[in-house]
Amino acid sequence: MICRIARLTAGLLVCAARLGMAQTLPSEPIALAGGRVTVSGDVSVGYGSADPGFFNYTDYEHSALRLFRVDVAAAVKAGPHFTLLGEIRSENLDTVRPYALYLRIRPWTNRDFDIQVGRVPPTFGAFARRTYANDNPLIGYPLAYQYLTTIRPDSVPASGDELLAKRSTGWFVRYVYGDQTFSTGVPLVSAFRWDTGVQAHATIGVLSVTGAVTAGTVSNPLFSDDNRGRQLVGRVELRPVAGLILGSSLARGPFVSTAAAHAAVGDGHDSEFTQTAWGGDAEYSRDHYLLRLETIVSRWRLPMAVPPPNQRALETPPRAVSTSAEGRYKLRPDFYVAARYDYLGFSELTGTTGTLPWDAPVTRIEIGGGYSIQRNLLLKGSIQHDDRNGGRLLMDARLVAAQLVFWF
Amino acid sequence: MTRTQRARRSQRGGAVSTLIGILAFVSFVSLVLTQPSKLAAARPGSIRGRVEIRRAAAQVERRPGVADLGTPAARDVPDLLRSVVYLESAPRGAFETSDGGHAVMDQRNETFVPHVLAISTGTTVDFPNSDKFYHNVFSLSKTRPFDLGRYAAGNSRPVRFDRAGIVRVFCDIHSHMNAYILVFSHPFFAMTDSQGRYRIENVPPGTYGVIAWNEGTPSETRPITVPDGGIAELDFTLR
Repeated sequence: MICRIARLTAGLLVCAARLGMAQTLPSEPIALAGGRVTVSGDVSVGYGSADPGFFNYTDYEHSALRLFRVDVAAAVKAGPHFTLLGEIRSENLDTVRPYALYLRIRPWTNRDFDIQVGRVPPTFGAFARRTYANDNPLIGYPLAYQYLTTIRPDSVPASGDELLAKRSTGWFVRYVYGDQTFSTGVPLVSAFRWDTGVQAHATIGVLSVTGAVTAGTVSNPLFSDDNRGRQLVGRVELRPVAGLILGSSLARGPFVSTAAAHAAVGDGHDSEFTQTAWGGDAEYSRDHYLLRLETIVSRWRLPMAVPPPNQRALETPPRAVSTSAEGRYKLRPDFYVAARYDYLGFSELTGTTGTLPWDAPVTRIEIGGGYSIQRNLLLKGSIQHDDRNGGRLLMDARLVAAQLVFWF
Repeated sequence: MTRTQRARRSQRGGAVSTLIGILAFVSFVSLVLTQPSKLAAARPGSIRGRVEIRRAAAQVERRPGVADLGTPAARDVPDLLRSVVYLESAPRGAFETSDGGHAVMDQRNETFVPHVLAISTGTTVDFPNSDKFYHNVFSLSKTRPFDLGRYAAGNSRPVRFDRAGIVRVFCDIHSHMNAYILVFSHPFFAMTDSQGRYRIENVPPGTYGVIAWNEGTPSETRPITVPDGGIAELDFTLR
């Protein structure tokens, strides 16, 4: 397996070197109609170790370390007040998905205030808006945005024991109530799908405020709602000095689908089963270094159904806390090193067999670097160590990955 | 041939060789001594003209910014009509090392100002940041790779350019920001003004190849003869 990775890495290097020598790839966005239409692209191809512990699986059931992603984004400016923005994405040559499609309205051209309507960028958190491979100094993602917990919006457990029994199986899980097919759980915040709704954003001096009403929740962004409620999400960002960004986000919205809620506790309760998330983040950069910190707390209120005999009810809403610290340092104009520490912990739950975190806590350390073959052609490499404290799956893994990123 | 005859012939040959050597030395010395006076006698001229840009290069647009939460701030538009005119090969004595002095490339309203800078080797370019936010000026050009890191408004960082070539300059934070620095190992170059006019001064009389350059596109080399103390006219049309 290691040989295969080495061969692929060598292949990527040779390919990259050829491309670098050629210097023929476009390096700027394509502009049409006098700059009113701009089109950009991001292509990344990555290959890494097999991940039998499913540490890096995303909600599209791909490993983030073995991902071939093509993104094409476009903006159409229709005067000073309206811009239509969209992005389509394909992962591992699957179906092309509309990642974003929204209308940006600027009511007053002299005021920093915008309204965005449609499938809008994530309001919550800091990482979700920079998931593009050229914005991510490493290959893996922060756990909060990618790691699949055992919570599902469309399938809910009948008891605390059932939830505890599924620890670490977020990549392939199902419960008694709701959808009976095996599927993926949700991360704390999804970095791979955007939500649909209305978003308003304003900047006054060093303060930026964003609020949105959307169909899904931060864990489960949706195109069309699957319950009778809307999520409210807000973010405040402060930039007191150049290089320092302090942000805080809050989101709350009905999480469990109407069908699952009905199956568990009957009609009329689906808007009660909410996801509430809070996030705090900080970024500081100066000279050749960049530091980022982010913490997210998420709580899901799930239906407390009558448990089967000899099982304990799900008495408290499951809660998860993630902490992520990331740093990047440029050693040369064409070379940087980066590292990220991640911890994802879960609140304790009491079942008939004892008290345990409701999902298995995970720690991830990823160290890597990037070499710019040309300005918009980057070769990244990383080593990732994942450690899972409990559960039914592989407990720890050392994974190696290489990724070639091209953008214009 | 006897040994005596061979000795005499050898002596004659040695004398001839010595004479040729002396003549060569005298010729060389006289050439060296007379050359500066000839150069000193020649009065430098100049080359002037106009560069017409038929179709200006398109400015680099911002990426669509689909992940942005709002409309990005307006930025300045770089002056893409400025060209550089230079001698393809310079006269002897032009490649002396010079201190080069200082030049400035500002970062203002998400634009490098000027967009094109022509300098000679040995010049130090200062990159002040006049915006309220960070920029990160860098170049991966083989001529002079550098990365100035992130620094706030009011600060400036220098880069010295010791090799001739073209240096493309970018900002690591704002991908639409770009500029050119053309580094010459001789002083025979000029930037065009807002009307496209240029003038290269102090060119020794002679015939040269001249090139006009705009946004990465050089013209064909055009020959021109600079008269003793006179002005040679040469216009270009690009694209």
